[in-house]
This record gives sequence, structure tokens and C-alpha cells, in this order.
Amino acid sequence: MRCRVLRITTLLLGLVAASLSSPRLTAQSAEPASASARADSAQVTAASETNKAAGQDDKDAPAEKRKLRLRLGGFSVGAGYSHFSGPYYYPYAYPYAYAPFGFYPGDWVAASYWYPVGSLYPYYGPGAFAAGDGRGEVRLTADPKAADVYINGGYAGTADKLKTLWLDPGAYDLTVSAIGREPFHQRLYVLSGKSLKITARLNSEGVKEKP
Amino acid sequence: MRLTRWWSAVAVGLASFAAAAPKGTVPRSSPEQYALHAARDGVGVGVLALSQEQARKQFVSDVNRCCVVVEVAVYPAKDKTLDLSLNDFVLRVNGKEVGTKPASAKVVATTLQKKARSTRDITVFPEVGVGYESGGYDPVSGTQRRGGVYKQAGVGVGIGGGAPQSGSIEKDRSAMETELSEKGLPEGAASAPVAGYVYFPVERKKNFTMTLEYTVNGEKVQLKLPQ
Repeated sequence: MRCRVLRITTLLLGLVAASLSSPRLTAQSAEPASASARADSAQVTAASETNKAAGQDDKDAPAEKRKLRLRLGGFSVGAGYSHFSGPYYYPYAYPYAYAPFGFYPGDWVAASYWYPVGSLYPYYGPGAFAAGDGRGEVRLTADPKAADVYINGGYAGTADKLKTLWLDPGAYDLTVSAIGREPFHQRLYVLSGKSLKITARLNSEGVKEKP
Repeated sequence: MRLTRWWSAVAVGLASFAAAAPKGTVPRSSPEQYALHAARDGVGVGVLALSQEQARKQFVSDVNRCCVVVEVAVYPAKDKTLDLSLNDFVLRVNGKEVGTKPASAKVVATTLQKKARSTRDITVFPEVGVGYESGGYDPVSGTQRRGGVYKQAGVGVGIGGGAPQSGSIEKDRSAMETELSEKGLPEGAASAPVAGYVYFPVERKKNFTMTLEYTVNGEKVQLKLPQ
């Protein structure tokens, strides 16, 4: 990540340096434009004459007076950073991928970057569970908190980050699983404007729940 | 870690396929486990009428708005197949001759959607005001007028508007139908115990008695449901 920031900073500094080193070019290119404007406009002849005279004065001036004059128009410097923590899907195997996974070698990408290629399961992008009109709310609590949540077989995220899910009305298969724990399955029926509270307690494998 | 997550996704998907389209509820070990039970020709029946509170907990759909929900479990005779149909059930209210047949999930969902649509918010805005006016000078005569107390009252009524009611849109109807269908008593040939909910389009009233009739092999089984 540091490398990337350094690269962006270097690029921006390079651009600034390039703009500073070419002020003459800017002045030269501006001159013909103003000349053509003078030619086109008959009404501003007097003003043009004045400008011409000023230009002659400039040429006749001593060398030290004709030194480089820097005129800064204005510049802007910006930086950006994007980070996507959700599952990622590539329509094809990435050149340096371990097929069939999409795998990006950068360490700045979250661990959940990959996603099986050609998956039969639904893909939930960012904002898939955002609140909206005509949606129902599912409030999820899981033990352990970092358990993986799957909706209709598609990975939705971890339970601690999905405390409130907003889903379109319909029936869904909810599965909450964690390593070393028995998965929790529940059929969900979501209606618009209704709120469901789901508590998923995952027992350790081999331990039976008390009736 | 990543590979583990991928495999767990595959396992979850396979489990979803395997458990697709569940139907009914899980029958208890025997008909005697239900509040009401009976047997005819080796066929056992267990019945549990859901109270309004129980129905609210069991269903996301607001079934109480239109129906009485009864959980029915049927235990076919050993090594025999039973043809189960919703038409075999009748609910009689207060011992009336005319009974009510169960409604299908589609009909119940449509009824609930219509009821949700027709529900409108009515807001009443009452307004009351009391004030005192100190009087003033009459512009014509120049004399001072007496002050006085004034009182006013008003009421405004607002109907409708706001967000649509839950269960009123088309997607809701479809979701309700899915829920009611999946939890409903499965119809068709049964060689093992089956259970599920049966929806009777009867409005609940105080002090009414319900009797569930189940016709099995031409014989009627009557079960008087508790209020």
C-alpha cells in the first residue's frame, strides 16, 4: 500500500515539475492566440495597437528585463484511495491467478477479494443489503460474531459486519457457519416494512444442543 | 483460510440444493404428542389449534387477519399409503351445519395482501385555543373598548398517505404465498408421518367453538378445538 501511495505522490510531483519547467511554451502559445483575436476583431483596433506597442517595448528592453517571467495559472493536487472489502468476482481467470480463483497479488486487497469463477450462487456487491423502500429488515446476531453468513448459498459477509440486512420481499436460505462449529440454517421470509430478529448460536462440532 | 471458505461455500450451496423446497412442519413422534389426537383405521391424527400469539410467532405473514391456523399431523397406517388432501378437512364453528374448507396458500396470501392494501392510516388533529383580547380604542368614537376572552376548537382528519403497509406490494404477496405454502400441510400420497399448517378462512370471535372434521377412508374423525 505504501508503494502505491509513493507512486501516486511521485507522479503528482512529476506533473507539477513538468508544468513549472514549461512556462515559455505557455507564453508562446498564448501569443498567437491573442494575435489572431486582434486580427479578427476590428472594433478593438486601438487596444491592439496599444498591445503591439507594449510588445515592441518588451523586445527593445535590455536582456535582464526580458528574463523568464513565471505566471502560475493555478493547479490542483489530489490523491485517492479505494478499498473494497467485499467478495470480488472476475469473469475470467486473472493472468496471475490460481484458477479457478481470482487472486490479486497486492497486499492492500482484503482477504475476501476472491470469489469462485462461474459461481452458481448469488453475488452480493457493496450496498446489496442497504435499506430501501419496499425492503424488509433482518437483524442478525451470531455467536461467534465473526461467523460467515451465506444467503441462498452466496457469501454475504461476516456476522459482525452484517448486523442489519435489508432484503427484498421473498424467501431466503440463511446459513451461518464458522470453522469448528456446526452451521446454523434457517429459512427466512422477508416482507416489506417488517423486521425479523435472528439469533444464530453455533455449537461446537460434536456437541449436541440441549433440548 | 481462503480455500476453507471456498469449500464451505460449496458445502452450503449443496446443502441448500438438498434442502430445497421444504414442505410442512416436522411431525412429532406420535399423535399423542399433540393436544388433540384420534385414530381411525390405523390412521392417526394429531391436531393443535394455534392461538393468535402462536400464529404471530410462527408466521411472518399476518395470518391472524384472515384465518384460523391449525397444525395437523397425519400418521398413515403401517406399510400403507394415504392420499392426503385439504378437501378432507372441514372446520365447523359453533356446531353449524355449514363448515369451512381450508384455503390454499395462494388464496390466503391474496386475501392478506388485499387487507394490507385497504388498511389506511387515519390521523386526527384536534385543536383547542383560549385567548384574551385586551380591547383597544374605537377608531370612530375614540372611546376604549372592553377586552374579552375568546375560545376556539377545531379538528382535522388525515386519511392515507405515508409509506405502504407491510404485506401490501406484489412481492410481499409472493413471499407470503411461499411461506404459507412451505409451512402448509403437504398434499398427495403419504407413506410416512406428515405435518403442516392448515388455514381456515374464519374470523375469530369471542365465545365460539370450533370442531375439526377429518374424513379418512370415508369415516369422519371429529376433534373439538380449544378456544
